[in-house]
Amino acid sequence: MIVTALAIPGIINRTRALLAGRKGIPFVQHLRNVRVLLQKGAVYSTTTTALFKIAPTIYLGAAIVATLMIPVADLYPLISFEGDVICFAYTLALARVALILAAMDTGSSFEGMGAAREALYGALIEPALMIGFATLALFCGYTSFADIFEYEQSFDLHLTIVMLLTAFLFVKITFVESGRLPVDDPRTHLELTMIHEVMCLDYSGIDMGMIQIAGWLKTACFSMIAANAVAATGCFHWWFAVPLAILLTGVSVGVVESSQARNKLSRNTTFIVTISALAALIFFIGYLLKLNINI
Amino acid sequence: MFYISLLVVLTLIVAAIFLSPLRWKMWVAFAATSLFATAAAIPAISILAGGEELSLLPIVSPFFGAESLHMDSLSALFVLIIGIAGIATLLYSRGYLEHYLDKKSSAHLSLHYTALVVLVISMVLVVLSSGGFSFLFAWELMTIASFLLILFDAERQQVLRAALAYLIMMHIGFVLLVAGFAGIFSISGTGNFADLAACFSCGRTLPIFILFLLGFGMKAGLFPMHVWLPEAHPAAPSHVSAIMSGVMIKTGVYGVMRTLWYVVDSHELHTIGLIILLVGIVTGLWGVILAALQNDAKRLLAYSSIENIGVIFIGLGVSALAQAAGNNAVATVALCGVLLHTINHSFFKSLLFFGAGNIYSKMHTTLLDNFGGVAKHMPVTAILFFIATIAICALPPLNGFVGEFLIYLGMLNSIREGVNTIYAAGGLLALALIGGVVVLAFTKLYSTIFLGAPRHHHVAESTEVDNLRIAAMGIPATCIILIGLFPQLAIGVVSRVVAQFHPSAAVVIEEYISPTMWKISLTAWLLIIVVALLYALKRRAHSKRDIKQGPTWGCGFTSPNIRMQYTGESFSEGLESIATSLTQNTVEGRALSKSEVFPSTHGYRVRHKDKIDRLFAAWWMELLHIINKRIMSLRTGKINHYILFALLFLVAIFILSLFNLI
Repeated sequence: MIVTALAIPGIINRTRALLAGRKGIPFVQHLRNVRVLLQKGAVYSTTTTALFKIAPTIYLGAAIVATLMIPVADLYPLISFEGDVICFAYTLALARVALILAAMDTGSSFEGMGAAREALYGALIEPALMIGFATLALFCGYTSFADIFEYEQSFDLHLTIVMLLTAFLFVKITFVESGRLPVDDPRTHLELTMIHEVMCLDYSGIDMGMIQIAGWLKTACFSMIAANAVAATGCFHWWFAVPLAILLTGVSVGVVESSQARNKLSRNTTFIVTISALAALIFFIGYLLKLNINI
Repeated sequence: MFYISLLVVLTLIVAAIFLSPLRWKMWVAFAATSLFATAAAIPAISILAGGEELSLLPIVSPFFGAESLHMDSLSALFVLIIGIAGIATLLYSRGYLEHYLDKKSSAHLSLHYTALVVLVISMVLVVLSSGGFSFLFAWELMTIASFLLILFDAERQQVLRAALAYLIMMHIGFVLLVAGFAGIFSISGTGNFADLAACFSCGRTLPIFILFLLGFGMKAGLFPMHVWLPEAHPAAPSHVSAIMSGVMIKTGVYGVMRTLWYVVDSHELHTIGLIILLVGIVTGLWGVILAALQNDAKRLLAYSSIENIGVIFIGLGVSALAQAAGNNAVATVALCGVLLHTINHSFFKSLLFFGAGNIYSKMHTTLLDNFGGVAKHMPVTAILFFIATIAICALPPLNGFVGEFLIYLGMLNSIREGVNTIYAAGGLLALALIGGVVVLAFTKLYSTIFLGAPRHHHVAESTEVDNLRIAAMGIPATCIILIGLFPQLAIGVVSRVVAQFHPSAAVVIEEYISPTMWKISLTAWLLIIVVALLYALKRRAHSKRDIKQGPTWGCGFTSPNIRMQYTGESFSEGLESIATSLTQNTVEGRALSKSEVFPSTHGYRVRHKDKIDRLFAAWWMELLHIINKRIMSLRTGKINHYILFALLFLVAIFILSLFNLI
């Protein structure tokens, strides 16, 4: 899991560089950046309260706990119980709330902008996430990640279809949740158009490092879910799922970021609601297949 | 006998409150409430711990036959909620009303306190009464008491209107309930809830159930009967909003649960479950979207109460559908969730209203855009409000999460077992969206009030409230944290109630819910430990490094000012652009036009009014106007006309009796 979390940003950068024909930054550049951040002091705004200082720890803490719930193919997760899919979604929501409140705490209009957008997009992506989990529960008959993905490893056409579709859905959700193109552009130079990055403008040093690490963990969680879904259709082993998770998200994000422009902000809502609609559609397909109705 | 003793008790309380000196009135009322609440809570606790059900006293009523006060585990649970909220409210009221002591007359305050005590007593009677006349009596007493409580600031035009609207709507609901009980009476000869079983078994389930659903839904604030809530809560004093929103609207939920109990036929239960689920979805979504758009703290909280009632009904619907399909495990899980959410909501909603009261008593406004940075001046309020915010967003590790988790789990289990899959998926979709928008609504509420820089000079002059109020807020806050960290205990409390609904529930709770709750509890602890550890590490690292303070980074903009902060309105602007068809906006002032090169001072305020509200008001008013006009045309003022009417009446009676119609 940690390997996945650490490797994805590197892969994204390599893919982008490759597609753009550049030499690109070294693979471990993001790790170096964070190491520098963790060794620095900090500057706090005078407007802020204690909440601002606690928020990054809540953000990272929640991301860590959420990560502990995700199995890596046949490796059992540390926390696993009936319904942990719900716990996972809400733990990440806690992380989001912490960051939104921290952004509003600075009293900056730019950070308020980011917070408002994050709150809205977070609200709209929630149904997609839940219906995605519901599809898995419907097809596998379990409500815990570990059981869902261990359900069946024999080849079954229906299962394969649903699992691949679900994997596709979770890759899409990853785009939104980790603030990537086409929803958000982490590399923009203009604060007015940012979402996720603009919320952490006032953070520095260790706090900023924590936020970055938590962001990687979040991305890793979602891509691991997608990879598990793919792996469950055939080769269900950790040595298959880990590289798959890294490549799946890393390459797809890299390709999308190199080939697409960022959405206009007003188009983002449509984009996210479309993901929810897609999730509902996948659920429905899963339902029909489950009832053995062939379409 | 019952009515006489009730009258004596009430007279004694009224006398004691009216006769005691101004500053002691609250303590007299407090003593009366806590005595009563403790007396009621002791048997309630023993019942929930597994004791025998309690028949308190038989009542002879003029209508609807024999009744009694009877406490089973469902009543016991509600008695507990009412008792806790009642005590917290009374404690809180002293500090809040301090400010009014020299403004209002002594009689006015006495009336207020009496109404508070009567409200608590009547709510307990509502949940204890076995039905019929005594139930309706207590129900009406509750309405009148809460009406008087809303009316506290009667000098304000807005309060008067809200209170009247409340009174009218409650009486429409009351008529529906009377009709419901009359329906039972006409079939079985007595008007008790228990007779509903006979009533439902002879095939008239749906009409009678819908009568009750409408009657109770009026109190609970089901869509589209919710319009009184967002008017009444901003008008009422905060502690009154707290008890009304936290507990009183739950008597509606209690009523629906009580009626649902007696539906046995699985086909009808399926229809009813579907109705409840749909109503819940619409109520929840409507409530939460409107909540996110509001710019007034108390109005936002009122809409969020509507949303929570929606969540409760979604869970109830899922439970009923599962029971109809014979799936006891799912029904049990969902019902546990519903009951827990009912308890939880009473805690965090009263805490939120208390918090809003603190701010109002210091700054005399509840408009979000007048605040900002309050956390620096009222730190304890800010922390307590933060706890309630996290809880109401249903985030771990607090109690809101536990209740919603079980409702979600019920739906997921329903989906995976392939029963009512599509309905459960619909509920899941709605609940997930509700969960997401709640986060938007409450981050908006919390951040515009407590965080950022002050937008108004009132904020800088405010100070923390008195300790008594903090103590009163501590009661629900403690419960929130306890349930959040030890959900297995809370499950123990509701397990008896669920066992009363489903005979096989004990096994499900024992084997399925309890272990899951243990895991939830462990996860919650883990989360707290990880966060604490990270924070400690950070503190240690920071202790050796250079930590600076500076102004907020302005992104290169040289003269940012406080007015440029994000306001509540701008925070929810994105949602508003999607949900614009749900509201009717009234705009005060004028927005800046593009042609203004040197803008002058502008005042601009938007209020997002509920479209349903308009529809209701306009529709009723029109109808009443027309009817009134017709009737007024009969009132000619001439004696000979009136004699003619009397004659026509006699003739009508004669003809009707001739055909044996009366």
